[in-house]
Amino acid sequence: MLEIKNLHAKVAEDDKQILKGIDLKVGAGEVHAIMGPNGSGKSTLANVIAGRETYEVTDGTIELDGEDLVEMEPDERAHKGVFMAFQYPVEIPGVANTYFLRAALNAKRKAAGMEDMDSREFLKFIREKIALLELPDDLLTRSVNEGFSGGEKKRNEIFQMAVLEPKLCVLDETDSGLDIDALKVVANGVNALRSADRAFVVVTHYQRLLNYIVPDYVHILKEGRIIKSGGKELALELEDRGYGWVDELAATN
Amino acid sequence: MNTVLNAYETELGRLLETAEKRAGQGAEWLQALRKKGLAAFREQGIPTPRHEEWKYTPLRDVAAVNWKAGEPGPAVFESDFGSLSGSAIRITVVNGRFDRNLSEIPTQSGLIVTSLYNAMTEYESEVSEHLGAAAAVGEHPFGALNTCLFEDGVFLMMKPGTVVEPVIEILHVTCGDEMVIAPRMLYVAGEGSVAKVVERYVTDGDGSCLTIPVCEVFASPNSNFEHIRVQDESVKNYHIGLWEIRQERDSEYRSYNVVFGAGLGRTDQNFWLGGEHIVTRLDGVVVSSGTQVLDNHTRLDHALPNCNSFEIYKQIVDDEATVVFNGKIFVHQDAQKTDAVQTNQALLLSPKATINSKPQLEIFADDVKCTHGATVGQLEESPLFYLMSRGIPRAQAEAILVYAFAAEVLELISDESVRDALESRLFSKLGLG
Repeated sequence: MLEIKNLHAKVAEDDKQILKGIDLKVGAGEVHAIMGPNGSGKSTLANVIAGRETYEVTDGTIELDGEDLVEMEPDERAHKGVFMAFQYPVEIPGVANTYFLRAALNAKRKAAGMEDMDSREFLKFIREKIALLELPDDLLTRSVNEGFSGGEKKRNEIFQMAVLEPKLCVLDETDSGLDIDALKVVANGVNALRSADRAFVVVTHYQRLLNYIVPDYVHILKEGRIIKSGGKELALELEDRGYGWVDELAATN
Repeated sequence: MNTVLNAYETELGRLLETAEKRAGQGAEWLQALRKKGLAAFREQGIPTPRHEEWKYTPLRDVAAVNWKAGEPGPAVFESDFGSLSGSAIRITVVNGRFDRNLSEIPTQSGLIVTSLYNAMTEYESEVSEHLGAAAAVGEHPFGALNTCLFEDGVFLMMKPGTVVEPVIEILHVTCGDEMVIAPRMLYVAGEGSVAKVVERYVTDGDGSCLTIPVCEVFASPNSNFEHIRVQDESVKNYHIGLWEIRQERDSEYRSYNVVFGAGLGRTDQNFWLGGEHIVTRLDGVVVSSGTQVLDNHTRLDHALPNCNSFEIYKQIVDDEATVVFNGKIFVHQDAQKTDAVQTNQALLLSPKATINSKPQLEIFADDVKCTHGATVGQLEESPLFYLMSRGIPRAQAEAILVYAFAAEVLELISDESVRDALESRLFSKLGLG
C-alpha cells in the first residue's frame, strides 16, 4: 500500500537535511513500528507523509497504492486515505468538534463523489466511536482539543481516525505523555481499526506501546535513515540493549 | 463654510437649511439643544486627516456630497431583514423614524419603548433631563450634526426594578440616496433594572447615504444592561456613529460592537464610570474586506475606585481593507483599585490589509491594574495543517480559523438565539455558507 523510495527531506526554511534516504514498504493489513533516538527524524517522517509544508521533500517518492503523494496538499492526501495522529494535537478554540468532524467527513465523501452524510446518521455514527474511546459525552459541543488533558487529546486523535476510516494510519508518538490506562484505551481503539485493508505506521520512542499494538515489522531510524529492520522481537532487543546499541549498528552500516 | 485648517470645504447648504428650520421648532429645551449642535457642527466641520482623532478616517468623499436631510422611507422593503432573535419586542426605525406599523411592542409594566419624537412630549421631563447630557457635541462633529438634524429615534426606559426578559430588537433601515439619516436613541435603565438590546443597522436598496446615529445610555445604580450593535450596512453607505454611556455605581453594562458593513464605518464609544463597583464590557468584532475602512474609537473613563472594565476587539482584515482601533483608558486620580483589561487583536489575511492600532492608557491613580495587549498576526500554520490533514480544503480551513478568531467575542453574548444568528452572519460573511 505504501511505498517510500529514497526519501530525502529537510526543514523548508533551512538547509538542514533530516531524512537522508528512507526506503519503506508497508503492505495493506500490516503494522510497522518506527523507532529511534530523539532527533532521528521519526516525527519528520510522519509529518512528511501527511504533507506538512514546514518540511520540503528534496528527493524520492511516497507512493500510496501507486500514486505519488509528494505534490499533493494535505487535504488531498487525507481524501486518498492518509491520516496522521499528531504527537501534539493543537487546540482550536472556537471550532466545535462536531462542526470540524462533519466538515472533514463530508470533504472526504465529496472527494469520493458522495453526498454529505445525513446529520442524524452522523451523530449516531460518532456517538458509537465516542463510547469506544471512552471520551466524555460533552465532547461534541466543546471546541477541538480545548480543555482536554494530554490523554484525552491522544484519544481524540484515535477517535477522529475511527470516524474518518483512513487507509493509512500514521501514529506520531501517540503514546508520549500517556499513563498505562490511557495507553490501553488508545491501543484498544487502534486495534479495533486493524483490518486487511488498512495499514499502520506507528512511530514510537518506547517499546511499551508495542506490547499493546503488536507490530508485524519494526524499523530502527537513526539520523534520517533506517539502519535495521526486523520482526517484533527487534523492539524487545532494542529495549534490552538500549539506544547505545543503535549507535553501534549505525557504525557498522 | 469655515476656515479652520483641519476641516474640508463643503457644500451643505440644503442640509444646514433644514437644520436651521428644525432648530426653531419644538420645546425651548429642544431648540437650545439643537442650536448648540448646529453651532458646534459649523465650528468643527468635517475633519481632514490633520485632525488627530480623524487621522485614519478618510472623509474626503463624505465632504464632497451635497447631502440632504433624510426623507421618509418606503413602507415595504426590497430585502427581508428577518429577526435576529425571534423576540416578542421588535422595533423598526426607517430613515431615522420610528415605524409603529413595523414594530411589535407588547406591554410590560415598567417598560417604555416608544418613538423618541412622541417621548419628547409624553415623557418630556425624562427626555429633557437626559437628551444631550452625555453626547458632547463640541467634540464630535457628526454627533453635533445629529443633534441639530434628528427628528426621531427610540426612547427606551426601564423603571426601577423592571426586568425585561425578551431581547429588545431594533432594526434601523436606511434607504434612499444622498441623504443624511440621523436616528437618535435615548436609553434610561432605572435602578435594578435588567434588559438586553440588539440594534442592527442595514441598508435597503442601492443608494448611498450617510447614517449618523447617536445613542445615549444612562445606567442607574444596580442596573444590568446588555447592548449589542450590529452595523451591517451596504458598502455604498457611510456610517459614523456616536455611542455614549454613563454608568452609576454597582451597574453592569456589556456592549458588543459588531461591524460588518459600510464602505466607511466609524464608531466612537465613550464610557463614563461615575460610581464604584461598576462592571463594563466593551467588546468588538470587526470583519472587513474589499476596500472597506472600519474605524473604532473607544474611551473609558474610570473616575472612581473599584471598577472593572474588559475590552476585547477582534478584527479581521482582508483584501485591501483598513481597520483602525484607538482604545483610550483614563484612570482618574481617585480611581484606586481599578482593574482594566484591554486586548486588541487583528488578523491580516492579505498583503494589502492594514491595521492601525493605538491603545492609549493614561493612569493617574497609583493602586490600579491595567493590562493591555495588542497583537497583529496571520493565520497559524499548526491549526491550519491540523484541519487540512483531516481533509478540509485550504480555503475552508482558513475560513474556519478566521471564524474561530472572531467567535471568541461572540460567544460572550448571553442570548443564545442572537449569538447563533450573529455566528451565522459571520459564517456567511466569511464565505463559509
